[in-house]
Amino acid sequence: MDIRVKKIDGALEAFNADRINQAIARASRGLPDAVAKTAQIASEMALTLYDGITTTELDQAAINVAAQNIKDDPDFDKIAARLFLKTVYKQVLGDYNTEEELRRAHRQGFLDYIAKQTASGLLDERLAKLFDLEKLADALDLAADELLTYTGVSTMTKRYLTKNREQKLLETPQYFWLRVAMGLSLTESDPTATALKFYGKMKELKYSPGGSTNINAGTSTPRLSNCFLMDMEDSIEHIGKTVADVMKLSKATGGIGLNVTRLRASGSPISTNNTFSSGPVPFLHIIDSTIRAISRAGKKMGALCFYMENWHLDFEEFLDLKQNAGDEYRRTRTANIAVYLSDEFMKRVAAGADWYLFDPKETPDLIELYGADFSRRYAEYVRQAEAGQLRVFKKMSAMELWRKIIVSLQSTSHPWITWKDAINVRAMNNNTGTIHCSNLCTEITLPQDRNNVSVCNLLSINLARHIKNGDIDWDELADSVKVGLRQLDNLVDINQPPISEASNFDHANRAVGLGLMGLADTLEQLGLAYDSPAAYELADKIFEFFSYHAIAESADLAKEKGAYQNFAGSRWSKGELPLDTLRDLENSRGEILSVAKTSTLDWEALRAKVKQGIRNSVMMAIAPTANIGLVAGTSPGIDPRFAQIFSRHTLSGKYLELNFNLVLALKAKGLWEQVKDQLLTDYGSLADIKDIPENIKTIYKDSFSINPLAFIEVAARAQKWIDQAISRNMYLETRDTDEIMNIYLTAWRQGLKTTYYLHMKPRHSAEQSTTKVNKSTAIGKLGFGAVKLPQPVAIPAVNTVSVSKDACPLDPMERLQCESCQ
Amino acid sequence: MNLRPIKYQWAYDLYNQAVANTWFPHEIALGEDLEDWKKMTDDEKHAVTFLMSFFNPSELIVNRTLALGVYPYLKAPETHLYLAKQMWEEANHCQAFEYVLETFPVDRAAIFKWHLDKPAIKVKEDFVTNYLSRLANDRLDINSPEGKKDFVRNLVAYNVIMEGIWFYSGFMVALSFRQRKLLRNFGSMIDWVVRDESLHLKFGINLILTILEENPDIVTPEFSQEIRQMIIDGVAMENSYNQAMFPHGILGLNADYVNQYVQYVADRRLEELGFTPHFKVSNPAKWMAAAMDTLELVNFFEAQNTNYEVNSLANKKSETQN
Repeated sequence: MDIRVKKIDGALEAFNADRINQAIARASRGLPDAVAKTAQIASEMALTLYDGITTTELDQAAINVAAQNIKDDPDFDKIAARLFLKTVYKQVLGDYNTEEELRRAHRQGFLDYIAKQTASGLLDERLAKLFDLEKLADALDLAADELLTYTGVSTMTKRYLTKNREQKLLETPQYFWLRVAMGLSLTESDPTATALKFYGKMKELKYSPGGSTNINAGTSTPRLSNCFLMDMEDSIEHIGKTVADVMKLSKATGGIGLNVTRLRASGSPISTNNTFSSGPVPFLHIIDSTIRAISRAGKKMGALCFYMENWHLDFEEFLDLKQNAGDEYRRTRTANIAVYLSDEFMKRVAAGADWYLFDPKETPDLIELYGADFSRRYAEYVRQAEAGQLRVFKKMSAMELWRKIIVSLQSTSHPWITWKDAINVRAMNNNTGTIHCSNLCTEITLPQDRNNVSVCNLLSINLARHIKNGDIDWDELADSVKVGLRQLDNLVDINQPPISEASNFDHANRAVGLGLMGLADTLEQLGLAYDSPAAYELADKIFEFFSYHAIAESADLAKEKGAYQNFAGSRWSKGELPLDTLRDLENSRGEILSVAKTSTLDWEALRAKVKQGIRNSVMMAIAPTANIGLVAGTSPGIDPRFAQIFSRHTLSGKYLELNFNLVLALKAKGLWEQVKDQLLTDYGSLADIKDIPENIKTIYKDSFSINPLAFIEVAARAQKWIDQAISRNMYLETRDTDEIMNIYLTAWRQGLKTTYYLHMKPRHSAEQSTTKVNKSTAIGKLGFGAVKLPQPVAIPAVNTVSVSKDACPLDPMERLQCESCQ
Repeated sequence: MNLRPIKYQWAYDLYNQAVANTWFPHEIALGEDLEDWKKMTDDEKHAVTFLMSFFNPSELIVNRTLALGVYPYLKAPETHLYLAKQMWEEANHCQAFEYVLETFPVDRAAIFKWHLDKPAIKVKEDFVTNYLSRLANDRLDINSPEGKKDFVRNLVAYNVIMEGIWFYSGFMVALSFRQRKLLRNFGSMIDWVVRDESLHLKFGINLILTILEENPDIVTPEFSQEIRQMIIDGVAMENSYNQAMFPHGILGLNADYVNQYVQYVADRRLEELGFTPHFKVSNPAKWMAAAMDTLELVNFFEAQNTNYEVNSLANKKSETQN
């Protein structure tokens, strides 16, 4: 078949294989076996061509074919990333022939972009006025694009790069980093110098801001916050207002945590018309529909998590919200759910005691109380219930309810388990009211009420880009923490949250969440197993260092720019630090936390310093970094490697992720080629591959092979130092409910504030396509292999292109005798 | 009749896993896919609708085959349990494709008739129903060698060829859109369908192999040759179907490409039945490693997690699974 290519103007021209081959060859430059790799991509691509294919599709086809080989060699990732980048450059800058031409067009294109898009109103006009643009254009570092992986650049393009109304790209990756840097330097006395400093960190992937900041910084709609935490009151007016606020916040690309414990139970009397309430569930369904309707500017889906305390009378119905069967009107398909547990409940579980559920209409003050105060009041309500003084209550075994929660978690991955008392008792900002919930990703712990929708702004340090000579580059890390915190703090004055309750909170508290990603990546590079005592010690040290420098920088910023408005009365103002609050939690519980309370840095000096003033009411939170981790090309947050090869399904597509550290380690031993097929067959687990040395197996465990207590230990070490919380994903192979109940009980005993998603190892997966599968040999049956057949009839020639080494011989002489080759 | 003692533990295990895999089409939100649909070319839309116009009635044909051609001839209650669950799944798959067709802006009346109008689809349907009618109408004595052979022929037709080759090729085509960042929620639904179909195949192939093992008298060279040829014929039928699905080709896929995939899958089925491979081609769709072969980590608020199991009864240690 003659293949013709349809050009952008609609004209058809004959397919020119040379031109494509040259493009692939350019993308393969400098890689081992570049010629063979180019030829492989070209021949596989030939299979997918068809007459009338467009030039855009041709580019895409080359990228896709390169990407489908990543499973065999990370070099194909480099090729796919370069091919992808080329399409980005072409779209933003037009055609170019040489590298030099590209570099010049890239520099000039930036100046044009700023001029044109500030004039059009897309970008903040200050971007054109406050900066020395020539100086910034000179700093544009096209070579830094080489740091991006295929998944990274592809995710960045789909999510963060600015596009015009026709969805044509306006930004290259470097324009994007620089736009964000400029957008967060607007309030500085030397904006150009500051922007260069921020840009330098981001282009090197030393850190990345959260998604909302990446999307909106530097634009004329600076909706820069990722997280909002709200409280819904028990009145029709406030429920209505909450729905409207959820819409506005979702449109502004924020994820929401929403406390729903206040809503009176079903059957509770409504005084105005002597009828009865339908309970929280139907209202939650409304909010669920609301977030589905708002697609967060098309770049992120509307996302929200309901939080409920488990003494609410309708709590068991709340647990059913994520079931996949049952009345659709009593389910929330899109919204997530989390349970907010008290120490009182956990103690009753441990003691095998009863648990009472109340109508919050009758027990509203429980919502504001925590720790020992909660326990006292709860005991009083229990007394009233037993004395027949409450309209309604439910009594059940605490253990039975705990089991129900865990069974729901196993089968629906909800509710996420979070602890009200660890959050509140340890809060540094406990002078501004009770914290009623965490956020969508369980790493933010801020108070909220009718007048305050709490806001948090995120940025995460990429630890894996702070390694030098086989150790952490501590000086560089301290510098990134400092610069990153300054960038975050600037954000507060530039940010424009979409509702006044959020702006109020933002300005009075300046809450930010400096996070950390790439822990697993770093441990691998340092040769440590995630579940080893050495890793726990290192995590402890890293988070201590991280916390120390973040707090110190916030105190320095306070000296320079003033303390945050609500500073007086905070724990900071008393010279206290996150580590000191561990003791408060122990006192409140009357139990010793099992986490080690040691420290190594000079915290005493810092105590004196924070007493003078601090810039941010809170400053640390370990976000999941599911997307910015991809852009940065590292393992997300403090998560282990899910598997050594797996696929990641996000809004921007489904990507194969291969652990390049492992490939390097195996290539160094000459083992990669012989084990890679089994690695895929074994779903990314090394456990049963016999050729791999034990020390490599120990370091590169997949998440389901790691002792679950390691997830708790690592989080507990980090939580010692972090003033907010941690998105702690859990990964379990066991399906034994009793065992899982114990694992989560341990998490509570270790002082964790929150846990996040629970990943259960699937017991059954679809039949694989690209690996060798044979069910008869697997079960040891012969089938028709039991008969001795006469010689099979000659195979009719099959019209296919063959690229497999199994199918056709590689030796040219043998190929002459091979039917398919001839 | 009593379930215990269980003779075919594998069938009972498959039943338990199938129950844990229960899902419903309405768990998938298709709004985003509708946006994709607007951006897709006519050839791409044709491929998707053509695919569903085959799957939709085929799920029902499999169902009828199970009811009339398999269930009545099996005695072990554990196999009945599995078949009952499989039949529900076929109904559920039919509903799932129905749900998509009712949501997408397509000419439904025309599409629902394609399996009658389009020769490339009709010939496949006729192929399977022909084997079934011999069992359903002629009522052969299942204990005679000829009866057993007919029973095996029917299993090969609906399970190995229809579910194991034709459906598998269709899944590859359906999932290819997600690899291009299109129809990813439809892709999640296909993930679930494939998960179910993988069990159907495990059951079917284990059943065939068990029958052959227990009835060596029918494992003759002639019968063996016949079954092998059936599968090769099934591949030929699929070639003209692929041509009708891809009259021109779309980004990443064309009829020849899909044909090669069909041959690749057919060789696998041949080998699973104890034959040598016939086509000896490689898998052109290496990207299926990302699409289907690996554990999937879901950004849970961005995509439907298809990994969860609903069966909390099974949450005890030492489940006997594969």
